[in-house]
Order: sequence, then structure tokens, then C-alpha cells
Amino acid sequence: MKKGLVKSVALLAASAFGVAGLSMAPAQADVRSTVIINETTAMSSLNSGTPDTNLVTNTDIGSLTGFGFYYYNDKAALVKNTKFGSYKITKNTTGDFEVTYTVAKGKVWSDGTPINADDLLLSLVLSSSDYSKKAGLGNPDTDTPAFNSGGYGGTVDNHVNANAYDISDDGMSVTVTYDSYQPDWQVLGPGPAPVHALVLMAAGKKTLQKTSVNISAKGKFEDAFYAAVDTEAADPDGYDADTTAWAKGLMAKIGNIWSNKYNITNINSSTNPLLLISNGGFIVQSAVDSQSVILGRNAKYNSGPALATSNPINSVVFKFVADGAPAAQALANGDIDIYDGQPSTAVYQQLKGISGATTVVAPTMTFEHVDLRVGVSNSLTDAQAAVGGSTYTGPFAGNSQKAIDLRKAFLLALPRQDIANKEVLQIFDPGSTANATVLNSSFLLPAQKAYATLIKSSGIAALTTGTQAQRTAQALALVKKYYPSASASNSVVDITMTFKNNSRRIDENALIAAEEAKAGFNVSRTPDAGWSSHLNYNSSDVFMFAWSPSAIAQTGTNANFLSDGSNNHYGWNYPAMDTALHALETDSTDAAVNAHILAAEKIINANALTAPLYQWPQVISYNKSLQGVLPAPLTPNIVWNYFAWHY
Amino acid sequence: MLAFIGRRISIALLILFGSSFIAYNLEAYAGDPLAGLAESTAPNKGYLIATLTRELQLDVPPPARYFLWLKGVLGFLTGHFDLGMSRDASPVISQMATAIPVTLRLVTGATFTAIVLGITIGIISAIRQYSRLDYVMTFISFLLFSLPVFWVAVLLKQYLAIGFNDFLGHTDANGNPQASIPVEWIIGISAILGVVFAGFVSGTRNRVLITWAATFVLFSAMLFGISSTNWLLNPQLSIVGVGIMSIGVAVGLTYVLTGFENRGALKAGLTTAGIAIVSYYPFQFLAGPSTNAFMILGLGLVSMAIAFAVGWFYVKVDRGPVIRVSMFTALFAGFFMLVDRIMQSWNGYFNSDAINRRPIPTIGDSNPLLMSNDFWIQTLDGITHVALPTMALTLISFAGYVRYARGSLLEVLNMDYIRTARAKGLGERQVILRHAMRNAMIPLTTLIAFDIAGILGGAIITESVFGWKGMGTLFRNAIGNQDLNLFMGGLVLTSFLAVMANLAADLLYSALDPRIRIGKK
Repeated sequence: MKKGLVKSVALLAASAFGVAGLSMAPAQADVRSTVIINETTAMSSLNSGTPDTNLVTNTDIGSLTGFGFYYYNDKAALVKNTKFGSYKITKNTTGDFEVTYTVAKGKVWSDGTPINADDLLLSLVLSSSDYSKKAGLGNPDTDTPAFNSGGYGGTVDNHVNANAYDISDDGMSVTVTYDSYQPDWQVLGPGPAPVHALVLMAAGKKTLQKTSVNISAKGKFEDAFYAAVDTEAADPDGYDADTTAWAKGLMAKIGNIWSNKYNITNINSSTNPLLLISNGGFIVQSAVDSQSVILGRNAKYNSGPALATSNPINSVVFKFVADGAPAAQALANGDIDIYDGQPSTAVYQQLKGISGATTVVAPTMTFEHVDLRVGVSNSLTDAQAAVGGSTYTGPFAGNSQKAIDLRKAFLLALPRQDIANKEVLQIFDPGSTANATVLNSSFLLPAQKAYATLIKSSGIAALTTGTQAQRTAQALALVKKYYPSASASNSVVDITMTFKNNSRRIDENALIAAEEAKAGFNVSRTPDAGWSSHLNYNSSDVFMFAWSPSAIAQTGTNANFLSDGSNNHYGWNYPAMDTALHALETDSTDAAVNAHILAAEKIINANALTAPLYQWPQVISYNKSLQGVLPAPLTPNIVWNYFAWHY
Repeated sequence: MLAFIGRRISIALLILFGSSFIAYNLEAYAGDPLAGLAESTAPNKGYLIATLTRELQLDVPPPARYFLWLKGVLGFLTGHFDLGMSRDASPVISQMATAIPVTLRLVTGATFTAIVLGITIGIISAIRQYSRLDYVMTFISFLLFSLPVFWVAVLLKQYLAIGFNDFLGHTDANGNPQASIPVEWIIGISAILGVVFAGFVSGTRNRVLITWAATFVLFSAMLFGISSTNWLLNPQLSIVGVGIMSIGVAVGLTYVLTGFENRGALKAGLTTAGIAIVSYYPFQFLAGPSTNAFMILGLGLVSMAIAFAVGWFYVKVDRGPVIRVSMFTALFAGFFMLVDRIMQSWNGYFNSDAINRRPIPTIGDSNPLLMSNDFWIQTLDGITHVALPTMALTLISFAGYVRYARGSLLEVLNMDYIRTARAKGLGERQVILRHAMRNAMIPLTTLIAFDIAGILGGAIITESVFGWKGMGTLFRNAIGNQDLNLFMGGLVLTSFLAVMANLAADLLYSALDPRIRIGKK
């Protein structure tokens, strides 16, 4: 800038600036201590528990700032986090099933507040609509409740009531009472939440408080938790109308904070630190809306496996970058350290070509499958019937020998290996001639122990024996039984297929249509953008999409195959299947569980209801000097073992 | 006039209504917001679907739901403007409020650079029609015009970010970073630049060869200097560089705007450059780490005032061109000083932990790890992030301006009044600067008005390729996630601006060109 010398001197004299120069000393570290992770969507909330904020990025960040009684490892197996505490069944009689969760002594939140059973209580509020209703927090079935949790309506909700949580005398254990045995009891239990922070925020506090204040806030929460659902009828001695009114008011206030106040995307020194309290290895330090979130070490962390000590990670950064070439180039440039996504061929090759990065392909929990309609859906609405018809009269309708044979023929001619090769291997490496792993069970994944035994006798062998050409020939023979004019060049059975309008499904549909044509089926080729709301349409015979389970649950597949199951859109109705699946809900030994799954799979294959195809692949590419990264199929995927990372 | 504006606004409202209604329904029918949940096997899937249906009012058919949405938008009449909530439960307005500044930072610079650069080159190639320069420019602009932005972006990232960072990250045997350019690169770059510059000159073969040789030698020497002093690791212009460049600008501007025969302009320009050189060291003192943008702006205004005074005092008649020379010289000199000051922060920035000796990023609009309150470091960080996307956007969009400006000026230059101007003995400089150029720019107002209105629409592809979360990314995500309210928020803003730009262009047109009268039947 040009200016008169006199003016400059005058300005200089008036200014309070010190000597001009660099304020930033070079701070080149010998070893990196930062991990930058790519996420394709931005963080929208620090609380991933509401229906609107239950998104991958929110969950991933949450997994670094919170540790409960268990986690899933890279083999999708449940690992007990014994550092935090323990849990066991304490009562298992007919109509009475109790599990006790005990927090280990000495565990603390990042503000130093001891963790105890009070911190587990919130879980009931978030999953029991009975509690919500009785505490005057709103009926989740009809309206948005005070705690707008995504946890209502599930297994816990169906089997616990508002008084299900009983706290022990020493204040370290919670006993959960269910109305019946729960096979998935391990994953239904409570997790810790910093209730003192909620109480303090409800009182308008905006700074971290002394431990004594925090402890009394926890006590307040415990009082309110029980008093809010207290009634004179149930507790004539202890009931106090004023206390209950106070408790309901406090819980409603807390509900509002829990539902809304955590939805922040800009975090800096003016953010209420009570929102950031963590018991995970890291704590959120700052965030810029739509750009990034930075987490630093939680100095007081002792709730989970110890963090790696040699060349440790001191900060974890989530950067929000679109998938694809930008992410690959960002990795090559060191803008990110870990990429986790589903890249195209070109981007995969680009990732492979980065000299400083390791690239691996691993299966996810999400699996592709093809379902065949047998009858009318148990949840068909009038509107859907108006479009798709109120009865199903397609070639696969009913359980006559003809319908079963045609369904079997369709599944036999399904080119499952080709599809898996294309979507698992060739999608990344077009020249690949290797065979991808085809999924052969609707209940278990290849990584699970019982899988290998199961598929030997489940009847799926019919779809895996021989070559595809041989199976298609068998299929054609079956079709010819009923349609003598059918041939490889004359498709006589018209099949309507419903699938999404994305390239994956369009490719798969093309492969299927080509192979099915050789067996006499004429498969429709039109994708459907609104496929998910058309699953009940009787006008469609075949449905292709993916299931993406978020947990490994013993009863997780029941909804798909029970005659009244919410995911059973196809009129599958087999009493023996219902018996086997209901037995899954009560049995606990591995042998019994595997026997029931086998029984169900046999029915599926004997009636040719569905065929699993393959598990979606995910690609992980990360900075070569970063150690300990292991892809995992379940949420929170790549960050599950952040504690083991180091350079 | 008022009636005209009134009529146009009512038509605009109708268009907005129609387009938003159609877009709303198209988007609503194009996909299913519940699709993600359909694949879930969660035990409480039914509850989640019911909740989402309630929140998004999916039980109302889209044509009717549009009016529920419109009710919120029309709320501005009563002071309760509401664009609804996006799917992640945050208000659409607040999401747009975060995205707009990001987009402005990205697209504004590129748009104005493209306009200035494009029009300048267009004018030069029109003046030198069918010269070698014209052909070179036409070739380059068509080449760039035809490139897709995502490809340009990928190339820029590969070579100017990843490649350049790798180059800068090299260390010598002692582990010290070094940035020496290989000799073959020096020769290659200089030779290519020579060809470019030789392409600019017209004349005999000898003249072209001499230009090439001179350029080659000059750039070789410069690059050799840059290489041998590791200038790229510790860049600065210093008082010498700022001085030489300011004087060069003063001389150059005098030549272009007035000609050397105007001694007053030359003296004013050189005096201003001199003052700039004198104030180099005082500026270093003033521009400490805690400088802020207002101070820079203040210094800029002071210097412009001084430059104005210098121009004013040097001549008594026809002051305009002289003041212009003086003020432009001050502007450039100030710019050089800023560049020099920012360069001085480079080494600290480059070696900081957050940058880790890879200064040019491929994504994002700032480095979240950079914890510095130093104004210059922050500015530098902004520049390293904005550089590549701005370059990509400018490269692909300036070609259009080149073609328009060239065509428009050529058309004007063939008009009778230009012949008259020449016939009455006006110099070529005056004919072009005063008579031709002003009229030639009128048709460009429409283009510029639309492009400026289009800034807020964001650059969908560029933003997503460079990981910027502006309006373009917001819009793209909204479509991808079936986020109807968010989608409509973006659409309303862009269509409103488009309609308004149309109106503004018409009004500007009539203001600029007295032959056009609007509103008269």
C-alpha cells in the first residue's frame, strides 16, 4: 500500500502493534499424530439417537466419544467391554427375565464426574414408549415425544414397562426386567449418557461444574427418573404429587435438550462444554459446519480399551468430502488419511495406484437378494391395492407344485455367481476372472461360525451345484413341464421385476434377464424409482434390493420371514417357519438356535422364496504409515477400533 | 417505467409459482424418501417409517403438499418466512445461510476474474483481428471452452496440488527441504512460454524469433534464480521486486491509457510508484500478524486518495486520464505489496504441523487444523484453498467472454461513426477506448447480469469436486437425499435471482443505451 511517509509514521505511532514478523514457529513433528477421516455426509448432530440424526457420520463421531458395555469387532462378533463394566442374566424364569448391568468402579466422564448406574437410566426413557406416556412426555406412536428418540417401537419397547429399571443400593448396577426371555438381550441393554450434563443444562448452566455439583445433578436425575412415573396407586407411601409434577417438568425439559440442543454443527470455544462431555477416547474440540469436526484426546478416558501408546493419535479429524475421485486425490495429497466408501472402477484403480496408501476390499453387512412373491402382503394398503391389484395371480402365486417349480426354476436360472463377480470384483477390477463369494444364507454371514455347516444341508446346494448353464437347463426343464413351448429362444413366462433405478440394479437386472430368458422367463427391464413403496404391489413378481442390518441379532431376520413380519411383503405364510422363528425368540443355546435357522432355511429353499446374492463390498484405503486400521462390516465400520490406531 | 417494472414483476411471480410447482412435484415423484428405511431390518422399522411420514407429511399427495410448503414461503408477507426443515432436522434457511458465503467465496472471484480476463483478451484480439495473437487466443479459448470442469479439476489437482506438493516436499541429503527445478524443466517451461509470447507479437519472422529468444532467455534466467535460491520455499518480492514491478506498471499503463506523449501521466504514474517504494518499509511495520481486513481496506483508501491527489496536481487540464494512470498504478503497487507480505508468511505456513509441507490442498475451503490468529497465515490458507477451484472455474468460463467481447467490438468497429471518428483525425487509442469500447460493452451486460445472478446457484460440479459445501453441494445433496424442502430452498433462490437478473439486464440496457426505451408502446 502506498501512503505518505509522514502518515505512515503517524499511523505507526498510533497503532499498538508490536514488531512485524511471523508469529507461527515451525512445528514440524517427526511423527504424525493426526488421523483425518473422510465422510461423504456432514455431521448434523452430536446426538445420533433421533430418527432424523441417525446418520453414519453422527454415529461414527459418537463412537469415538462414548463407550458402553460392548462393541462389534471386525468379524462382526460382539465383544464385551469389560473395562467399562459387566452384565449378566440374573433371573430367567417364565414371564420374568432379568439382566443386571454393573458399571466398574472408577470410570469417569471427561469432566471428571464418576460414572455410575444413574448414567444408564436414560436408555429406558429413550426406548420405552410406556415410560414416555406415563411420564407425560408424549405418545411416540401418535406424536413427536419430548425425547424424540429413534429407539421406540423396537424389541425393548415391546418387552419392558416404565418400571423396568431397578437401581442397586450401591448405585453401580441397573437390573432390567423383561416380560420374557430375550435372545438378543446382550444388545438391548442400557448405555451410558452424561445425565448430569442434561440436568445442568436444564438449569441453564453453560459451563463445566465442580464434581460435587455434578454428583448432586445426577442424584436429581435419578429422583426425577423414578418420580416422573410414580403413581399413588402403585406407591401409596412414597407418592408425592408435587414431586411427580416437578419430575415430569424436569424430564420434559431434559427431553427438549436431548432432542434439539445437540443438533449443532459449528463448535468452538463459545459452545456449551456440557454438550461435549465424553467417556470415549476422544472428545469433540471444534467443528465447522459442513466442513470438518476435530476431536482431541479425552485425558480422563478409562471406559474402554487403552489407547495405543507408541506414536499415539492425538487428534482425529472428520472431513466431509464427496465420494469418488475427489476423495482419492485427497488421499494421494495427504488431505485425508482414511478413505472408506464404495468407489467406481476408475476411482478404485486410482486408490490402488497411490504409493503411500494401503487399499483393501472387505464385505459389509449389507447384502443383495432377490425375493419372489407367493401371495398378498400382510401389510397391503388400499392405495397399494388400487395400483397393484388386491390379489396376486402371477406365475409364482400360491404353493401348488407348478408355482413352486416355476419359482425354483427362476432361482436356478438366477446367475448368482456372475452377478457377484460383476458387483464385487469386476466393479473394481474389470479384468478380474476370479470368483467372488456368493452369499448362500439369508440368516448367517460367511464370517459366522455356523454358516459353513448350515449351507451344507439347508437346500441351497441346488443353487450352487454344477455350472450356471447346467442349472439354467434344469430350470428350462421345469418350465417346460408347464409350458411345453418354452425354449432358450422362446420366453413364455412374463415376469415383472421391481428394482431401483441405479446402475448396480440395472446391471444386475440385465444379467438376470439374459440368463432367465434361456430358461423361458421374460423378465421386465424397467427400473422403478419408487421401488421401496411398491414392495406390496401385487403386479410385481420379483423384487431385488438389499437388506442392511445394523446389528447381529438372533431374531434380526424374523421380520423378513414371519407370516406377519413387517418385512414380509410377499405373502410368505408357512406355519413351520413361524414355529421355527418363534422358537428363535426363546432359545438360547447355539445348538438350538442353529437348528431353528436350519429349519427356516430349509423351508425357504424348498419353497424357493428368496435367494441371497452377495455382500456389498466396501473399499478402505488408508495412509500406509497408519497402523491398526481394520475394516469392520458393522457400524461404526472403520472407526470401531480407533483405540488401537497409531503411527 | 414503473408500470413496466410492475408488469414484469407480476409476470416474474407467475413464473416463480409455475416453476416451483412443477419442480416440487417432479422432485417429489422422482424418488422415495423412505427408500433408505425400506432396506433396514431394524425391529422398530415401522415406528421409524411412521415418524418420518409424519415429519415429512408424506401422507399428503405432492401437489397438495406443495401448497403447505408455499404457505411457509408466503409467510414472508407476515414476517414468518419459512422454507421448512431439511431431513436432518435443521432449518433450510440456516443451511442456506451457511452455504451462501462459501459459494460467494468460490464463485465470485472466478466470475470476476473470468469477466475481466475474458473481456480484456477479447478486446485485444478484436483490435488485432486475424493476427497471430487472435488465432492463438481463439484457439485457446475454444480449447478451454470445450473442456469439462471435472476433468480440468482433476488435472489441476494432480499436477498443481499433488505434483507441486511432492516437488516442494523434497529434501536434500541433510533432510532440509529444497525446491530446485530440474534443468530440463527450466528449458522446457521457458521454451513453451517463449512460443506463447512469440504468438502474441505480429510482424516479420525475425521479430518473432527474437521475441521467442528473448522470452526464453528471460524466463530461463528467472527460473534458474528461483531454483538456485530455493525461492519457492521462502518466496518474497522484497522492495526491489515491488519497486521494479510498480514502475513497470506505471509505464505500461501510461502507454495503454494515454501514450507517452502525455508527459504528465507518465510523471504522475512514476511519482505514485515512487511513493509506493518509499512506503514499503513502513507498510512492513504496520502489517503485523494482527492486521485485519478493515485496516488493509483503510490503507487502500488512503493510498487511492494520495494517488488521486498526485494525478490532480501534475496537470491542470484533461486530468481524467492522468488520475486514472496514477490511481491504477497505486492499486497495482498496493497489490504487489500485499502479495509480498503474504509471501513472507509462506515459510511459516509451509512448515506448520497442520500443513506438513503439503501447502496446496485438493479439497475443502480451509484447513481445520490450522490454529493461527495471524491474519496473513489465514489469508494464505484461504488463497491456497481457493486457488485451484478458482482456476478451474475461470479457465472454463472466460472463453465465453473472449468470444462475446471480440465479436461485439468487431461489430462496433465496422460502424459508420467509428469511420467518422477516424476521419476527423482522432488517434486510434481514443477511437477504441472512448468511442468503440463503451458501445461494445452494452450487449455484454445481459451476459454479466445473468452470470452474477448465477453465482449464488453455486457451481455444482466444481464444488463437489473440490469438497466445498456451498449452494451447489447443498442442491446436489438435496436431490440425492430426496430432501424436498432443501431442494426447493435452493431452487427458489436461484430462480428468483434469474428472474431478477433478467429484469435488471433490461433496465441496465435502457440506462446504458439511450436508443432503447422500455415501457413505451
